[in-house]
Amino acid sequence: MSSQPLYIILCSAEHEKVQMAAILASVGAVSDRPVEVFVSMNALFVFDKRTPDVDRYAGGRFSALLKEKKAPDALQLFEQGKMLGDLKMYVCSMALDVSGWDMDRLVDGLFDDTLGLTKFLSDAENGQLITL
Amino acid sequence: MAERTKIDARGAFCPGPLMELIAALKLIEVGDEVEVWSSDKGSAKDIPEWVAKVGHEMVGVENLEGYDSIVVRKTK
Repeated sequence: MSSQPLYIILCSAEHEKVQMAAILASVGAVSDRPVEVFVSMNALFVFDKRTPDVDRYAGGRFSALLKEKKAPDALQLFEQGKMLGDLKMYVCSMALDVSGWDMDRLVDGLFDDTLGLTKFLSDAENGQLITL
Repeated sequence: MAERTKIDARGAFCPGPLMELIAALKLIEVGDEVEVWSSDKGSAKDIPEWVAKVGHEMVGVENLEGYDSIVVRKTK
C-alpha cells in the first residue's frame, strides 16, 4: 500500500537546498511513496539546460563539500527517482511566464508538465508538504 | 540456489548505495539476492528500513573493515 504522498516546493537555487530536495524526492519515490516536486522562483535557473554543469550549483560551505566529495548530482537524483519510483516534477507556470522561458529551456526528461500553484496546493492537501 | 549480485558502492554518499541497490533489484529474479558494500555510515540502518517498508527481505548486515556488507533478497 502506498504511503502518504510527499509534495516538495523548491524555490531556492542554493545548492544545499536543491540537493536536499533531490534526496527527499528520490528516496521518497523509491519507498513506495508518490512524490511531486514543484519548481519555482530561483530554483528555475538550476534546471536551465544552457547552464554548464560546472556552473549549475552555487552555495555555501556544504556545497563546497558536496562538490569536493563528489556527492550524487541533484539532477541525477531526480532522474533516478523518476526512473525507479513514482516521482513527478512540475515547473511553476508563473515562473515560466516571468522568466519568458518555456519548457524547452529546461533540462530534458525531468519535467512532466507546467502547473499553477493553486492546483499544486490543492493536490498537496492530501499529503505532506515540504518547502525548500 | 539463489544467485547473488554484488555491488561495490564504497565511496558513494547517501542515497547512492540505496539507489544502486534498487536499480540492481529491478534486474534480478525473485528469490535472488543483492549484496551491497557501502562505506556510507547511514546505509546499515537506511537500507534495512527501506527493505522493510517496500517488502523485500533482509538477509543480513555485516560490519567489515571500513564498510558494511548488506544483503537483500528480492521477494516480489
